[in-house]
Amino acid sequence: MRVEIRDYASRSREIIKEEPGVREAVTGATIAFDEKRRQGYSEIDADAWRRWAEGVKNHTLTHLDHYLTEAEARLEANGAQVHWASDATEAREIVTRLAKQHSVRSVVKGKSMATEEIDLNLALEDAGIEVFETDLGEYILQLLEEPPSHILGPAIHKSLQQVQRLFADRLGSAPDGDPDTLAEAARLVLRDAFIRADMGITGGNFLVAETGTVALIENEGNIRLTTSLPRVHVAVVGIEKLLPRMTDLAGFLQLTARAATGQPIGCFVSLVQGPAVHPDDDGPEEVHVVLVDNGRTDVLAHEHAWEALRCVRCGACLNACPVYRQTGGHAYGWVYSGPIGSVLDPGLLGLHEAMPLPFASSLCGACTDACPVRIPIPELLLHWREEAQEEGLTPWKERAALAGLASVATRPGLYRLAGRIGSRLGATGVARALPMLGEWARDRALPKPSRQTFRQLWREGIE
Amino acid sequence: MRGDSSRERILARVAKATASRQRLPHPGALVTPPADDPVGGFVKRFTSSGGEVAEADPERSPSEWLTGFLGGLDPAVAGVAIGADVPADLRPRLPAVAAAHAGAGISVAWGAVAESGSLVLPSTGTRTAQLLPPVHIVWVPEGRVFARLEDALAELQDGLPAGVGLHSGPSKSADIGRTVVTGVHGPGRCIALVGPGSTASTGVT
Repeated sequence: MRVEIRDYASRSREIIKEEPGVREAVTGATIAFDEKRRQGYSEIDADAWRRWAEGVKNHTLTHLDHYLTEAEARLEANGAQVHWASDATEAREIVTRLAKQHSVRSVVKGKSMATEEIDLNLALEDAGIEVFETDLGEYILQLLEEPPSHILGPAIHKSLQQVQRLFADRLGSAPDGDPDTLAEAARLVLRDAFIRADMGITGGNFLVAETGTVALIENEGNIRLTTSLPRVHVAVVGIEKLLPRMTDLAGFLQLTARAATGQPIGCFVSLVQGPAVHPDDDGPEEVHVVLVDNGRTDVLAHEHAWEALRCVRCGACLNACPVYRQTGGHAYGWVYSGPIGSVLDPGLLGLHEAMPLPFASSLCGACTDACPVRIPIPELLLHWREEAQEEGLTPWKERAALAGLASVATRPGLYRLAGRIGSRLGATGVARALPMLGEWARDRALPKPSRQTFRQLWREGIE
Repeated sequence: MRGDSSRERILARVAKATASRQRLPHPGALVTPPADDPVGGFVKRFTSSGGEVAEADPERSPSEWLTGFLGGLDPAVAGVAIGADVPADLRPRLPAVAAAHAGAGISVAWGAVAESGSLVLPSTGTRTAQLLPPVHIVWVPEGRVFARLEDALAELQDGLPAGVGLHSGPSKSADIGRTVVTGVHGPGRCIALVGPGSTASTGVT
């Protein structure tokens, strides 16, 4: 997926002004998700579960080389084949090569942020391979040629009416079809795709080192079909997805579902160990696991940002975020959006590429309260902001304004003078005259300042 | 593949990234409260997720009862896809057809889980029968209902098949207009038949 983060501000403005339906749809959906998450957490000792999950992930990440090699050995013992990809290009090459080796003409895919990240569909299509996204939301977006807007609900920004028009145009369904009818129209196309597909491609929510298990969570059953029907299954898995033990997986499957949708567990969980070996197993003949770095080792090496690698891609931080709700995910300009994108993208892509995302937050902390693995997102955003400031990546107007403020604040005479001028002009007038702040203050009236400065009041004795 | 330079490069980068970092310990097992009625807990969770539970008539043979039960569904089931590990006495007396054309799939669970309301289905039981028909009927021996998912996975781990499915309700999606639709890809109805017994399905040791 092309990186277009630099346009975050202009794209946000455009979405809010030109597509007001997006704000309405995303806000409604995320508030509903967040309420379900709260309900899901209330049924367990969520603080204890979240602390435990944070501990397991921290342990795994600080022993990652050990668990990666253990997972590789177990997968190979199970009959699966393991591939390693340093970057997106190599990951695409591996999957495309496997497809060619197996004379694959048609692929079905389960929803996967990792394959979005490496832009896999385009590479497969360039190789002449037909690709079907089989998650209903992803299928809608594939027809529209749009990237996902949300980790969990990729098409939450689309209204029923938009899907009705799309399916009437592309699938010939009734223009006023209800969701059941529309889903049936998609199912007919995708069922045929499942039957015909030579290869199934998924991501992986977790990879258990002890057993070599790729674990996948979903509600539709499309991932169960993707990992079962085609003769070849390829799982594209980020190297941070490791868990040490099968018993750890039990906790993570449930906590992730509760954080995402409030469910005790996804309606379907696939545990993939390897290719079918039992005579009665009608599963794939080959299973390949592609372990992808693509910037993750840079994040792991970062003094602070490594904690973002605990992320389980539940989307809870997006649902809780008042900033994300205004625009949905497309404004963020890359695959990982919302609060987690704002801390992960600078690490994966480099801070320069990910500007201004660390600033796309009010630092309210709702994301951290929702996060099942307690990623301290506001703290990480502040670290990225400091680095951006140190590296001169912030806008020159902002740097000039802060330098001016520092200059005034460190000179008592100048500070007194500025205070007196400010109290005469009024805060609104001053704010509107300043760079950066001016835009924010344009539609706001600030409280009227006291005619006397704080220093004057202090001298006279404050009661 | 082993010997791949990317493998060595990634592992070296991981080792370097974590070399100066404190190696944090594993926090141990997640302690959750025990359930005193696993079967009741399973039924409650499974049905709250949209799953259905039916009880076979003990006066009739399971095969005979299931045949009648399938005939009473709407629409009535005329042909079934049966998992390879379903014992003869649990198979309905209906024509066996390809899973893609079957009115129902019949499986036997390796076990079930109260904590998550899940059926544990090994791949040795014919995946297509579990996934393609619009209705999935699953025999569950009540002696195989685990209180916690951790307990089930710990026991399953000793003889893990190539694939395991945890099914905790019907196929569903809310991707269109935030309205929940069932039977999107997998079975739109998932019916657990909890009955006497304590034997795991065959094929898993």
